[in-house]
Amino acid sequence: MHPIFKHRGRLLLYLAVWVVFGLLLTVVFVFGGGAPLDWSLEFAVPVAVVLGLQSLSFWYVVQAMPPDDTPVIRMAVIWAIAGVVSLLVWIALAYAWAMWLLPEGEQFDASAISMLPLLIFAGAIGILLAVLGHYLAGAFQRSRNAERRALELQVLAREAELKSLRAQLDPHFLFNSLNSVAALIGNDTAAARQMCFLMAQFFRKSLTLARQQAIPLSEEVSLAETFLAIEKVRFGDRLQTRFDIADDVRDVAVPPLMLQPLVENAVHHGVAHMLEGGEVCVQARRREGFLELVVANPCDPDRPPSRSTGVGLANVRSRVETLCGHRASVDVDAGETAFRVSILLPAVSTQSTHP
Amino acid sequence: MRVLIVDDETLARSILAEHLATLPEVEIVGQAANGFEAVKLAEELNPDLMFLDIQMPKLSGFEVLELLGARAPAVIFTTAFDEFALRAFEVHAVDYLLKPVEPPRLAAAVERAAERVRNRTPAPSAEQLSAAARPPGRNLERILIRHEGRVHVLPLEKIDFIEAQDDYLCFATGGKRLRKQQTMSELETQLDPTRFVRIHRSFILNVERLARIDLYGKDSWLAILADGSKLPMSRTGHTKLKELIG
Repeated sequence: MHPIFKHRGRLLLYLAVWVVFGLLLTVVFVFGGGAPLDWSLEFAVPVAVVLGLQSLSFWYVVQAMPPDDTPVIRMAVIWAIAGVVSLLVWIALAYAWAMWLLPEGEQFDASAISMLPLLIFAGAIGILLAVLGHYLAGAFQRSRNAERRALELQVLAREAELKSLRAQLDPHFLFNSLNSVAALIGNDTAAARQMCFLMAQFFRKSLTLARQQAIPLSEEVSLAETFLAIEKVRFGDRLQTRFDIADDVRDVAVPPLMLQPLVENAVHHGVAHMLEGGEVCVQARRREGFLELVVANPCDPDRPPSRSTGVGLANVRSRVETLCGHRASVDVDAGETAFRVSILLPAVSTQSTHP
Repeated sequence: MRVLIVDDETLARSILAEHLATLPEVEIVGQAANGFEAVKLAEELNPDLMFLDIQMPKLSGFEVLELLGARAPAVIFTTAFDEFALRAFEVHAVDYLLKPVEPPRLAAAVERAAERVRNRTPAPSAEQLSAAARPPGRNLERILIRHEGRVHVLPLEKIDFIEAQDDYLCFATGGKRLRKQQTMSELETQLDPTRFVRIHRSFILNVERLARIDLYGKDSWLAILADGSKLPMSRTGHTKLKELIG
């Protein structure tokens, strides 16, 4: 439906403009054509309003031909046709109205016929203005929409950042790590110091990475390595890690905090539930223009089901989709004794996205 | 006081041991790195007090307490962060310590525990505690059973039906039967009512196992299970089941 019908005020204003057009037409008839004032008023104002109503149909033509991606020639031809058709229809309606106003049994004055060119000219101008008006309104609407969308995107991005920061500051991880530091300080000050450095590194990296849109895979890997180094202090020999990252994927652009939550899940929902522990394995390689990233870990078949894995995975999914759209995929293979997440996303270098 | 430390992290055990060593009248008799070890050591060493981590491999702290039952010593739970568990501790007035543990708090908790040991205050009910510590909207997911000296972790989906026998519950799972000391009504409240229905005074049925319902007499029915077992069904049980499966 035409947007003008959604607001009564707008419709009234629009019709008021056409009433004014009708009054101007009256003036032209009286002074330019020497027509009587009362007839001119009676004839011109309704006819102008009819032209206004008729012009509302231009909105559909504007919708069909967005000014940005329609060739100029095509636009000119179509508007010429639309304008002429509209003008002819209007002239016909105006003629019918003039006949209706004619008192019974009277004939048209010869001088009245001479007003026809004037009427055509006025109608053409009215139609031209209506078309321009429609394009202006359309442009205005589009810029307003774009503004709103930009604002929405900003809010979404801020929300995602907050969410990821909250995820990073997992209280369980933080307090357990502090407990490890407290334990180490007594017997192994060097290790305690090392643990503090690792934690500082981890939090600093996650804070800076979370603000960016895309980062090279190597930075994600380094964050995951730091995380695992901290967890290794806690879990000791129970936690083994293996990184197998191909050199040709190190600068592939990935969403920040994509790998770390996966590695965190692998530890907290996998290895942590195994009596003897296990190995968290991270693999990245190039496959037909895509980056394939796999995080695998063993898990205990009797482990209690967990909700938080789902949350972490959902976050990773939405981050990957935000950056790569539907060209990326996140697959989860949850077996009895092994858990595996593989991500496939277009291998675009960070250098090419940020020249 | 003879103390057992249970935590799966070596460093967490060592700092607790370090602090405890400074307290008078405390003797550390053992340290366990997982739930199974904790149950075994608690029974062998018979400590007065046990420091119990909540999140551990295989068995959680709650499950260790549940398996020990009446033989459980006084308990102080330790956790880094677990909002639901903390709420349960508050509700059931159970002592707990937050990691990293501060020595003055540790001393005070040990003092209170010594008091409980002197007064022979019974340990809190593990089932009630773990039920209270479960996040809202979540039901019991596995059952722990000690059968012939072994601990069975029985996931709920493997249970066919549960039968009450005197003070015991009998869990039927794939032709096997495992017995556990628990009451029907206590268990019933912890199960997901859309998956497990009490069809009779002494039977709870895993709805997924139901093959058909036979009329048996006036106001009594038989639930026929996929494996051919037949369970009696009362009128209320029949109504409940009908409501669920339509």
